[in-house]
Amino acid sequence: MTVSTTTGQPGSALERTSGGGGGTLADVVETVLDKGVVIDAQVSIAVVGIQLLEINARIVIASVETYLRFAEAVDRLSIVPKDTKGLPDLVGDAAGAATKGKAVSGLGKAAQEISGAVADSLRDRGSERERERPRRRRDEER
Amino acid sequence: MGQENGLFIYGIVPSDVEPTPEAEGVGSPPGEVIAIQHGELAALVSEVGLEEPLGRPADLTAYERLLDGTAVVAPVLPVRFGTVVTGADAVEDLLAAHHDRFAAALDELEDRLQYTVHGRFDEQEFISGFLAENAAAAALADEVRGRPEIESREQRIRLGEMISQAVELRREAENRDLIDAVGRYAEADVALPPSHELDAVRVSFLVAGDEEDEFVRAVEDFAERRRDLIRTRLIGPLAPYDFVSAHQLVE
Repeated sequence: MTVSTTTGQPGSALERTSGGGGGTLADVVETVLDKGVVIDAQVSIAVVGIQLLEINARIVIASVETYLRFAEAVDRLSIVPKDTKGLPDLVGDAAGAATKGKAVSGLGKAAQEISGAVADSLRDRGSERERERPRRRRDEER
Repeated sequence: MGQENGLFIYGIVPSDVEPTPEAEGVGSPPGEVIAIQHGELAALVSEVGLEEPLGRPADLTAYERLLDGTAVVAPVLPVRFGTVVTGADAVEDLLAAHHDRFAAALDELEDRLQYTVHGRFDEQEFISGFLAENAAAAALADEVRGRPEIESREQRIRLGEMISQAVELRREAENRDLIDAVGRYAEADVALPPSHELDAVRVSFLVAGDEEDEFVRAVEDFAERRRDLIRTRLIGPLAPYDFVSAHQLVE
């Protein structure tokens, strides 16, 4: 996401992205692809088939892969359920080994046991995901 | 015009619309955009080489820039990206064949612009909210959390499916709420299919010039009420891509 093309009032919850192709490529593709008037048969004899580079709009179909990704997001949850008391302290301990923000907010005893190697491997997985994501998105945007 | 050239059609406008000299079209180098008139209508076109494949990012951006730039000064019917005809005669045939219908559609679009509201759930916020409300999902979350995928695959798939369904349901509700909240400041609205699995809202609105300010304020209020859960963006003003249907015009 290119921040420079996006504006908003300071403190506003709403981001503004101008039209005119000023957004990201994903925005442009989503805005214009497969839209607009289609020339019908009456004049199609004059329509020239030109070679269009393959551009695919992203189609979202939930799949096992999606489900596993959501489950992985549960692993990365750093937000403590609001109705649970006393957890921040426990999480604070568990987070010692993990980077803040990537800490696993395990519940109860399990959280205390997450330390050292386990937390590290979780953290690695988290950062791998982050590296993967932009690459995949770019591929899909074309 | 040589054998190997065609005319790329961007959109249809009233006949008094003239492209500015600096308007750049698709292709490399970018073609010069001209208007071909017929009756009350004109088509914005530029010459393209038929051997040159189109659809590079720069082509899409040029197409959108021209149409959006036109839309803020005059009504415009976008023509689907990639429509190329043999020459000026073909453009006139096209305008003649649909003259009245195009003219009527342009009348309806006078002083109207499209805005698209696109919002995405904050993943952590959504999932933690969902787990707090759904005991069965929270129990599954406890089972999978911290365990390798290979040992907990079935539970992970079940949990992920529950989350995915919750996102879908919530998305439908958010789209409805958005239309309820801001639809009164728009002439028309259309919910669009999600483009990301965490999409929270995606709706296009056709907004009249004198309602633009109120519309934007209403979207700001909507975004403000959900600021922790949804990252909301307002894209526009745009040409009315989502409000010209091929079927409506061609039948």
